[in-house]
Amino acid sequence: MILSDLLGAEVYGEEPLGHVTDVRFVLEGDSSNQPMPRARLHGLIVSPHTKSSPLGFERTEIRSPWPIAQLEHWLHRDSFLVLWADIAAILPERIQLRPGFTRYSALLVKSAVPEPHFE
Amino acid sequence: MKRRHMLDPEAATGRVLDAQLHLLDRQVHDVASVPVTAVSDLEISDVDSIQNIPPGTPAPQLIALLSGPVLGTRIFGGRPPPSRLQRIAWSDVDEVGVVIRLAVKGETLDATWAERWVRDHIIGRIPGGRHDPE
Amino acid sequence: MKRIFAVALGILTAIGGFLDIGDMVTNAVVGSRFGLSLAWVVVLGVGGICVFAQMSGRVAAVSGRATFELIRERLGPRAALANLGASFLINLMTVTAEIGGVALALELASSVSYVLWVPFAGLAVWLVVWRVRFSLLENVTGLLGLSLIGFAVALFLLHPSWLDLGRQALQQVEFSDEKASTYWYYAIALFGAAMTPYEVFFFSSGAVEEGWKSKDLNQSRANVIVGFPLGGVLSIALAGCAAVVLLPQSIQVSTLGQLMLPIAVAAGKLLVAVVLLGVVAATFGAALETTLSSGYTLAQFFGWSWGKFRRPVQAARFHLVMIVVVIVGVGVLFTGVDPVLVTELSVVFSAIALPLTYIPILIIANDPQYMGKLVNGRFTGAVAVCYLGVILAASLAAIPLMIITGAGR
Repeated sequence: MILSDLLGAEVYGEEPLGHVTDVRFVLEGDSSNQPMPRARLHGLIVSPHTKSSPLGFERTEIRSPWPIAQLEHWLHRDSFLVLWADIAAILPERIQLRPGFTRYSALLVKSAVPEPHFE
Repeated sequence: MKRRHMLDPEAATGRVLDAQLHLLDRQVHDVASVPVTAVSDLEISDVDSIQNIPPGTPAPQLIALLSGPVLGTRIFGGRPPPSRLQRIAWSDVDEVGVVIRLAVKGETLDATWAERWVRDHIIGRIPGGRHDPE
Repeated sequence: MKRIFAVALGILTAIGGFLDIGDMVTNAVVGSRFGLSLAWVVVLGVGGICVFAQMSGRVAAVSGRATFELIRERLGPRAALANLGASFLINLMTVTAEIGGVALALELASSVSYVLWVPFAGLAVWLVVWRVRFSLLENVTGLLGLSLIGFAVALFLLHPSWLDLGRQALQQVEFSDEKASTYWYYAIALFGAAMTPYEVFFFSSGAVEEGWKSKDLNQSRANVIVGFPLGGVLSIALAGCAAVVLLPQSIQVSTLGQLMLPIAVAAGKLLVAVVLLGVVAATFGAALETTLSSGYTLAQFFGWSWGKFRRPVQAARFHLVMIVVVIVGVGVLFTGVDPVLVTELSVVFSAIALPLTYIPILIIANDPQYMGKLVNGRFTGAVAVCYLGVILAASLAAIPLMIITGAGR
């Protein structure tokens, strides 16, 4: 399957929960090894309020330029992560979660992308 | 009021890649830092009985970066047939940073066929095309 | 000594490079109809382009990436595609206007018909883009463009009533046969002429072409902050010439010849020749910049290899796009459309598209992922957000005003 099948799909628990705004992968191994280790699908980031691309604002703490960041943070309030194990079915345009699924915070503290260094 | 959910166990391990944030629409450079393409989509391994996933099914893997015509379908909807997907295998990726660097030369990839075609049939035929600018 | 020379070169190039056919025509039209009462728009526009050119230059120097490369990954393909579509079409319009401008100026200089100059100008633009090194291209056209100082010289030679000009600029003098809506329409046009979107994409791609690093930022800051305002002064001088010579006669500028009339009146044929050289150089330079911009934006969106620092065969699609753009521009001019009209429309459309161009730059310049600690400071950030408001207002008002005033008639 391709990613676009998942992005934007509506996510259901017992009721509609929102739409998939991102898909999280986890590297099986150290990313400083070459070549890149395999990447396993870890979970889906679901946003209850908007389908639009988040511009990355809600996953980090960037707060400027002020009006745009505020808008984005507001649009993506209450985003959460669900893990692969909690996904019961992937249908066209619709993803069904298992009963009793867990909502995790979507916040990313440290990703596999190295901190860029600047001269 | 903002509910504080439990932190993702992988949130701080330095092993996470978010598709939209880190991979999609990133520029791809080859091993010599020559631009190859931009990532338009990702190919993920298929899962048996995806419409009714048994508990304990292993998670799918990221197989390839996709570019080319898939950009149109990503924006406007639909899906190109698998034979028309321009793939860059995930195993050819060397590192993911501000750009995605490959471990191979661009020449060897499907994704550069258009560039090679234009080079060989048009630009290469105009005098001066192969020289450095003066 | 070498440093001083390099700094001077940068500033002088920026002055000559600031003016293009859009600035020249719009300022002349405005001067002939409204005197200097719209001079404040030039000041506003120069301030804006300084802020945004600086931001995008900083983005390029710190991240090593040109602005448009980052727009798609930061904002997503939909927004970037909308941006690309609008920018590309406006660029195409501007390339057409600039090539037309070169041909018109050559016609004035030579009495060889304009139609014969068009393909020549197009070919010349392409040849320079194809073979000439980036820095040489920039420096020669920028320096020759300095001949446009002739407009300032002419203004002095015309012995205008400075008091009158000052009153026009500072108070809103009533021009009885012009309506307020037309005034504001031309304010937007003038704003679009000063804050041309292509300038920013060209500037940031150029920064990557020339391999700027953080230590080069001071130089670029000097170029921009000294060069662009001086270019703005020349724009105002141009409007002033039209105000002094054409306005009292109710001659509304609609041809390049009328634009040059004040120079002829002030100082005769010699100065006309010098200034024409400047017009050709500045317009030709702008034609190069917009053509390159078309290539940059398309290639950067799709992730193609680009850049004049590469041999054409190493950036094949980039060069193909530029060839097509020049051919289309020349083709459009062959249909007999008036390049001055194309120019007037291109500046208004530029104003309409400004938010699409500038919002992404603002977002990227604030993102520590690309900028590290060199994100916008508080002051720059505040100024940039204010300009964003102005840009949005201009963009939204442009189409209604265009309809109401019949595109300024």
